[in-house]
Amino acid sequence: MKGSFRQSMKWLHTWVGLVVGWILVFMFITGTAGYFDDEITRWMEPERPLTATHIDKSKLLDISQHYLETHVKNAKEWRVILPNSRDANLKVMWQEQPEEGKRFGKFSTKVLDTDTGLAIDNLRETAGGRTLYRMHYRLHYMPSIVAYWIVGFCTMLMLIAVITGVIFHKKIFSDFFTFRAKKGLIGWLDIHNVLSVTAIPFHFMITYSGLIFFLTTYMILSVNIGITETQKDKYFNEVFPRTVEVEKSDDYQPLASLSDMYAKSHKYWQEDTLAYVKVEYPLDKNARVKFTRWNTDLTYNPDDELFFSGETGKLLDIAAKQVTMSGQIHRGFISLHEGLFASPMVRWLYLIIGLMGTGMIASGLILWTTKRKPKQMKNTNGPDFGYRLVEQLNIGTIVGFPIAVAMYFWANRLLPVEMENRAEWEIHCLFISWALLLIYPAFRSGLVAWFEQLKIAAFVFCFIPVLNFITTDKHLGISLPLRDWNYAGFDLVMLVIGVAFAFTAYKVKKHIPVAQKSHAKLTKNDIENKVTDETISTLAATKETS
Amino acid sequence: MILLMSLCFVSMTLFCLAMEKHRKQILSSEFINFPLPQIMVVSFKPLAWVMLFITLTISVEQYGWSIGPAVFFGALSGCLLPLILLLTYRANLIILVSVLLAIILFVIEL
Repeated sequence: MKGSFRQSMKWLHTWVGLVVGWILVFMFITGTAGYFDDEITRWMEPERPLTATHIDKSKLLDISQHYLETHVKNAKEWRVILPNSRDANLKVMWQEQPEEGKRFGKFSTKVLDTDTGLAIDNLRETAGGRTLYRMHYRLHYMPSIVAYWIVGFCTMLMLIAVITGVIFHKKIFSDFFTFRAKKGLIGWLDIHNVLSVTAIPFHFMITYSGLIFFLTTYMILSVNIGITETQKDKYFNEVFPRTVEVEKSDDYQPLASLSDMYAKSHKYWQEDTLAYVKVEYPLDKNARVKFTRWNTDLTYNPDDELFFSGETGKLLDIAAKQVTMSGQIHRGFISLHEGLFASPMVRWLYLIIGLMGTGMIASGLILWTTKRKPKQMKNTNGPDFGYRLVEQLNIGTIVGFPIAVAMYFWANRLLPVEMENRAEWEIHCLFISWALLLIYPAFRSGLVAWFEQLKIAAFVFCFIPVLNFITTDKHLGISLPLRDWNYAGFDLVMLVIGVAFAFTAYKVKKHIPVAQKSHAKLTKNDIENKVTDETISTLAATKETS
Repeated sequence: MILLMSLCFVSMTLFCLAMEKHRKQILSSEFINFPLPQIMVVSFKPLAWVMLFITLTISVEQYGWSIGPAVFFGALSGCLLPLILLLTYRANLIILVSVLLAIILFVIEL
């Protein structure tokens, strides 16, 4: 660290951002995709029927109850997830009786066909949107605990970067709207500032709440040292309070009609926002049914849950969870992080701001190389290893990782349906393509590598709807007229991303000197010309920014 | 949501107008090329704050006290990016967009 306080903050911001920048790009992209995990899963299971017609919830509950009663007799828990704006299919889940000494049994999920009332059994095995989202906090190919620590370390550094960034930014308010679309340093600096400052509430919230998620992992000492088991239990009950549990009676008792309970819940809530139904110990005398509606509060609203007796179907008066003040804050941050309360429009907003966050980190990384480029290009032996490595990782991550995600979707459509470990292979495809794209830029000069990878990205994303057309019978030509927006929306978004990459590729192409286009290696002459050009512009930029 | 984002857009435009360098950018179109009266220039900033406050109130009204402020900040961030991009590439359209948004909102709310 050197110089004034502001200078040292700048130093810290630069290096902290650089060290974890690439993992943060990975986390931001997977996390942003996570806001649409249900929608992605739905696309990755094209065997499900397209649904557009609205069916009354009481009929759906009847269908689910009938299916569960005939097919899933000995379960610890049933769940019915009603069609909603995110996933228009009716789904049932159940948990089998746990084995001796275990708390949870095996979970299974089935999508029901509302016409026949039967489960759709030929769904392909897929890792789905859920796994893509899980990589956001759990990475892959390593034990959870290691992943949590890596993610926590990166998040902590990002929090430092956010705070130091605010401290050393000289003119937050007077430059609030300033974006000078100039080539080189000024342009990148401005776009980095704009993306950071405009979404600063989100950036701060998402990093801070990210750390709160695994607080017992990161605060391992205070949770474990000098604490007895009872104290620990008490602590967990306070942070994660639970509703009073029911005991199993082992006496058989058919379940009262769910649709009757639905009528009661409708009357109680005065609105039709039931999200899912959970039945604890179904077909037991002590069965208890929980109706949950869409969140109406960031923290905890006891009114969002209604309990019914499974035997009689009567509304039960169950004591609300005892949520302490700190518990409320904890829940609030987690709900903000995951967008649990988000209606479709707000969810789109999360997506856009998530992408702004990705752009912020990406532009920060590019800024690092842009700033050092003129000096590096002057070296007679070409740029340093460190500089080349950063450039290579930038290209391989900022453009390479989105391509890898597209390959994940490609794998879903192209791998043989009856393949063994299919879901796992989808993920392998993602990481293999990413690894290749990380190595590839080493063999090309900077701008050419950017351009080529952007071209690949444009192609792979634009081709996804076509691939869907070739491999399934549920392409845009069918989903659009049916107005199944969840399914068609995925194809359309992929097209938009593809076009955006194509546009960027077109813009980058204009900056590649003619000599480079024919043979990718830089000639000495080119370097010299470029260096003089860029030194002038960077000098001007440094003057202006200081 | 559209209501909130439009209101945020309009109030942020007012903030832009309150700053001299952006005022020049925005008011360079052929429709408005006369100097604005001083009283108008001074009133942009307070007006913008009032509008932001109104937007926050509407957000709270729509989503409740716990979700409302969160959505408000989201809408604010979400509308700033298009505004800044417009300011850079098509600054003379900003007034037109703001007025159009206001008219559309008025029609929707009627």
